[in-house]
Amino acid sequence: MTDVVSSTDSKVQQRRGLPGSVRTKLFAYALVAPVVLLILGLVAYPFLFAVWVSFTDMVIGSAGNFIGFRNFQYLAGTATFWSAIWNTVTIVLISDALKLCIGLGLALLVHQHLPGRGLFRSVLMLPWAMPAFVAFLTWRVLYQPIGGGINLILNLTGLYSGVIDWLGTRQTAMASVIMASVWRGFPFWFVSILAALQSVPRELHEAAIVDGANSWQRFWNVTIPGILPVIIVTTLLSSIWTANGFEHVWLLTAGGPSDATMVFPVLAYFGMQTQRIGEAAAVSVYMLPVLAILVIFATSLMMRREE
Amino acid sequence: MADAAPSASRRYLTGRVLSYMALAVAVILVLFPIYWMLATSLKLPRDILRLPSLWPSRFTLDNFSKLLADGNFLVAIRNSLIVASTVTVISVIISSFAAYSMVRFRYRFRGVIGRLILFAYLTPGSLLFIPLSIVMAQLKLGNSLQGLILVYLTFSLPLATWLLQGYFRGVPRELEEQGMIDGLTRFGALIRIVLPLSAPGIAAVAIFTFTGAWNELLFALVLTTSESVRTAPLALNYLITSDVLPWGPLMAGAVISSVPLMILYFVAQRFMVAGMTEGGVKG
Repeated sequence: MTDVVSSTDSKVQQRRGLPGSVRTKLFAYALVAPVVLLILGLVAYPFLFAVWVSFTDMVIGSAGNFIGFRNFQYLAGTATFWSAIWNTVTIVLISDALKLCIGLGLALLVHQHLPGRGLFRSVLMLPWAMPAFVAFLTWRVLYQPIGGGINLILNLTGLYSGVIDWLGTRQTAMASVIMASVWRGFPFWFVSILAALQSVPRELHEAAIVDGANSWQRFWNVTIPGILPVIIVTTLLSSIWTANGFEHVWLLTAGGPSDATMVFPVLAYFGMQTQRIGEAAAVSVYMLPVLAILVIFATSLMMRREE
Repeated sequence: MADAAPSASRRYLTGRVLSYMALAVAVILVLFPIYWMLATSLKLPRDILRLPSLWPSRFTLDNFSKLLADGNFLVAIRNSLIVASTVTVISVIISSFAAYSMVRFRYRFRGVIGRLILFAYLTPGSLLFIPLSIVMAQLKLGNSLQGLILVYLTFSLPLATWLLQGYFRGVPRELEEQGMIDGLTRFGALIRIVLPLSAPGIAAVAIFTFTGAWNELLFALVLTTSESVRTAPLALNYLITSDVLPWGPLMAGAVISSVPLMILYFVAQRFMVAGMTEGGVKG
């Protein structure tokens, strides 16, 4: 097989000679150049610029001076900042744990050879196909104290007859945001895990049955190791997205009531609105160390899987 | 043996029933919000608060006509269509060049570029919206659709390049070299052989970049100020910042901006799901 490839390769090489190989290289660089230049200009440069801005007292309309860590110190002295840390961590941990459990559970159910599994898969994927802004606006309507769907269901089923202002009450706002975010986010886990389950070789299961493993042992010793790489990558990606998600909090509560659901991206957006750009940039840069670890980890796993 | 058979089959049957019950609960929980969006959009505005009900007591298209009456939402839909389709066309073209280059050729910075593209894909908008809004203002592209298009390339290019690499890798090298022996240039081989063979992948990438741009809210919120350049998510965002929340028109707008995409998803789901699981697509 390799022989065939390399022989055609050399034939092509011979036909075009040495200048051709230089030309090929130039051609390769020319093809990749637009994407690389745009990414350098639109991602890499702004990224470095944001880090620089976070060390300045820039406001809209003025370039700002270097002020060292003062923005970071100022933020660390505000209660809102600490709420944002706490809430961001809470949302990521709880909602991703729930997405994992729900996604894994449903994937295992659909992975059985049930009649109608294709239809179940399509329907369970729908929240992912819905634009995030539509999903969270809909949840906002569902959570309305009067005329909202959640209270209506509770009343109709007799579970609770009072009126709960889900998004306007400190005790329920966070849980409500997490629930909406899980609804919209679990399909990504479900489909990723389902695909991983389908790629675990059947023979491994059959060999385990021959060895006398019961279904629980097969789950722990065959299924879980088979899907673990996918679960790790999914966890990393989903954590990055959840931690940096803006819509779910912005459209549901805008961080309220009184910072009960304030998260980093919303805090940065509010900072931007007050025109104190240095401070706003410092909010995003505060997330950077943790984010960098997740991104570097995810990148190397994804590159390895690709090889 | 005679005892074991019925109990095994009973256990099998119980497993089936429990599986279907669990799936039914999940399906209801998934569908209820979507149903609620549709039902609210079809209720009379005064019934939404006064007569809370699962089923609209009176059906009406009032919410839709109210939303569309002043034409602003139609402008927003038009803007969203312009932005999302331009971003898609640009991304698919230049990303397929880049992806092809990285899959077919070996050169010095290939590994670095691959890593750069993944980093760019995973760099969140929440980190970039502040500097990008300054950069766009400096380029005099703030508050314009062109500016939005440029900014949306920050997430669409890395995603498209990353996914297309996967699809191009599946095109056998031999086919291309055969074509080149038959007289095609390298570029001709890309256009005539690789791209047609990756058509399902390109369609999936086009849908992903289109929906990514269609759904984007944060950049649009920061970069645009005037009503004439608002996109659909932004138009709906400003509906909820008014004092009285217009639930009916809001859900009518939600229906208009999501139903076409959900139909598209049902039609194209087979290769979209493949792209999503292989490349990690947020949606």
